[in-house]
Amino acid sequence: MTEHIQRAPGVVVAVSGLTKHYPGVQALTDADMSIRAGEVRALLGRNGAGKSTLIRLLSGVETPDAGTIVVDGQPLDGGVRRAGELGVQPVHQELSLVPQLSVAENLFLGSWPLQGGRIDYGRMRDETSRVLGELELRISPDATVGELPLAEQQLVEIARAVRRQPRLLILDEPTSALAASEVKTVLETVRRIAESGVAVIYVSHRLDEIRQVASSATVMRDGRIVETVGLEDVTTEQVVDLMLGETAQSVERLVTGEVDRDVTPLLRVRGLHVPPKLQDVSFDVFPGEVLGIAGLMGAGRSELLRALAGFESIAAGTVTVAGERLAAVRPRAMKRLGVGLTPEDRKGEAIIPLLGVDENLTLADYRSVSTGPTIGWRRLRETARTLIQRLGIAAAGPQTPIVNLSGGNQQKAVIGRWLHAGSRILLLDEPTRGVDVQAKEEIYGLVRELADRGAAIVFVSGELEELPLVCDRVLILRDGGLAGEMTGDEITTDSVIAAAMATT
Amino acid sequence: MTTTAPAAPSGVRAVFRGHRLNEAGLIIAIALLYVILGVTAAGFLSPSNQLGMLRDAATIGIAAWGVTLVIISGEIDISIGPAVAFSSVLVALGSAQWGLGIGGAILLTLVLGAGWGALAGWLRARFGVPSFIATLGLWSVLGGLGLYLTDALPVVLPESGLMDVLGGSILGIPTAAIVMVILLLVFVYIAKYTPYGRAVYAIGGNAAAAELSGINLSRVRVALFATTGLLAAITGVLLAARLGAGSGSAAAGLEFDVIAAVVIGGTALAGGRGSLLGTFLGVVFITVIGNGLVLLGVDSFLQDVIRGVIIVGAVLINVWAGRRGAATRTS
Repeated sequence: MTEHIQRAPGVVVAVSGLTKHYPGVQALTDADMSIRAGEVRALLGRNGAGKSTLIRLLSGVETPDAGTIVVDGQPLDGGVRRAGELGVQPVHQELSLVPQLSVAENLFLGSWPLQGGRIDYGRMRDETSRVLGELELRISPDATVGELPLAEQQLVEIARAVRRQPRLLILDEPTSALAASEVKTVLETVRRIAESGVAVIYVSHRLDEIRQVASSATVMRDGRIVETVGLEDVTTEQVVDLMLGETAQSVERLVTGEVDRDVTPLLRVRGLHVPPKLQDVSFDVFPGEVLGIAGLMGAGRSELLRALAGFESIAAGTVTVAGERLAAVRPRAMKRLGVGLTPEDRKGEAIIPLLGVDENLTLADYRSVSTGPTIGWRRLRETARTLIQRLGIAAAGPQTPIVNLSGGNQQKAVIGRWLHAGSRILLLDEPTRGVDVQAKEEIYGLVRELADRGAAIVFVSGELEELPLVCDRVLILRDGGLAGEMTGDEITTDSVIAAAMATT
Repeated sequence: MTTTAPAAPSGVRAVFRGHRLNEAGLIIAIALLYVILGVTAAGFLSPSNQLGMLRDAATIGIAAWGVTLVIISGEIDISIGPAVAFSSVLVALGSAQWGLGIGGAILLTLVLGAGWGALAGWLRARFGVPSFIATLGLWSVLGGLGLYLTDALPVVLPESGLMDVLGGSILGIPTAAIVMVILLLVFVYIAKYTPYGRAVYAIGGNAAAAELSGINLSRVRVALFATTGLLAAITGVLLAARLGAGSGSAAAGLEFDVIAAVVIGGTALAGGRGSLLGTFLGVVFITVIGNGLVLLGVDSFLQDVIRGVIIVGAVLINVWAGRRGAATRTS
């Protein structure tokens, strides 16, 4: 079938009928798309819309169940290596550089130029200078990558892909980890690459940024390509509507009562500066309130929560807990005051994988299950069993190693840890990341229940559409500062997403 | 949801089996060694040899209890051998030359032992010096000091009833072995029944999570190394009592026997997993092999070769069993 492929002039990559199933999931259905040389195409969609599946198929990591991918007239009929030969170069969200090595060494990682069996450092340097020069980047080939600012590391990552002379460059949220001021150079570089005749797929959630770099956008939803639009012709609201479809309007809010905001707030933050991410953040959280923090990746969400739990050094600002103004925000003091943080990275920072659910639930506070200094294991298991029941954790028994539980159940246990420790201010960082739909709903229910019992909850999420479900109030965090507040019925999926994505 | 309910019970069993497999395997291996050596090595089963083995086990075991916790927490302590030697020198010099009396010399040794251990822990906790390096430093400093202070000659202990008891037996059982067993019970209690002990497991399993849960990493780390320092000092005092002298060249290579016993006992060098019961079996295993090789009249250099092969083989089986457990868990 290779010979019959039609080539529209200038088209670098043509995708037709592309379909991919995973067990139980239709990850991508019947996708058609083509991109011309020199074009920057934005790829938009919520989490789980199928963007990553499309990217994985294009870069040869996965093979499609049906459909074809044609790059420069050649079918992509092999794995990553074949995709590389055809000139598809993905740049993934996580940096894959070796920080201890120089820029030049990183550009040639794994394919060092040899001369007589020795690495030819001269050629490596020259080639690197040439690539960096083409991109008009002022980065020394000899600089150690780990010592460069994050934006320049991202540029080195892009330069590495460019060195291989790609036909199609795929950039997956290249600016998500960068501060606003650093984004500009990255965008300029992307434009320059496109001008040299490369087709670029640019995945990002930041619409303002997309408008600066791309001319058209392909919007995905539920594993399908919904539409490809010219960005000059559409408003941000229209794009958001395309992304959300009909589902957005039909959500059921779990929010019940009114929050009394005349009482002393449980947590009061004023003028919080946490370099380098956060500037001048002020807000209150009241008993019984779920306060959502909406922001895109890199907006400073996690930094805010970590700072409030005492794990980041605060440069300026005050924190007041239940009317008591704190001289210093330190981890153990905050814990004593009833502040509990559940981190975003559940596996890396929250669970102790090999310990049982029982110990993972109780390890923040052994006092209530101890007699003097001695832990009473029977009491500990009893306490754990009660919590497991109350939180609806599906585990074979209290002693089951927590690593054997599903993500949702692990998350419930991590929240339960702070319930056990008697926390009244819960800082939840992406509590539903990577858990299935049913577990999500259970977590929403749990969060509401805790608030209704008088806890103050700060609920951070990058999945903006979940905030209207659980939050009494939503603050918009953008580029390290608060950029809006919504209360009650103002909180809709549309309004939250539009506010978080909008241009400053 | 597909992974939750069905995966959990089989997973537990796999992990459980993995642990028990190791301990059961060690018991079988030790039993086998007893049968083989009982037949081939003359005098192996004699009461005096068995009691002697208990005393040898104590030299490794006492420090191994502490090192087990250190390794579970994800750290390492390689300073045991020189620390024991230096302690024996300290107690001998203190009582024979510095006029502290036996009690004073023992106290000084124990305090200093806890002190230099705490120092290593503090370097780890406060400055992030890898514990391997911090204790390598101790290894070198203490080993050098022990030889320097004594000109590499044994320092004879003065006559003392206390030292006779420490170096001898109580009701026929070597005092060192009694101390070892008491400390084993203490450490089983600490590991299982105190927040400190559970914090050790939590830190080794996931230090970031432990910290976010409000566990004070620094305090635990300093305490861990202070403990191994103290245990090395206790071992040194008992060794001096048994030999009747302190020697800067005693206990050479003991640190590796200790680490080998801990690892053979099933404690993961990467941290987070391990048990004192396992370490106890590891100590017995190593002691029996060492004793058997001597009784069989194997050349002393060749003994090291055989021991090395057996230790690596035992750990290999251990790793293999652990991997099978992990594979069952994730599948």
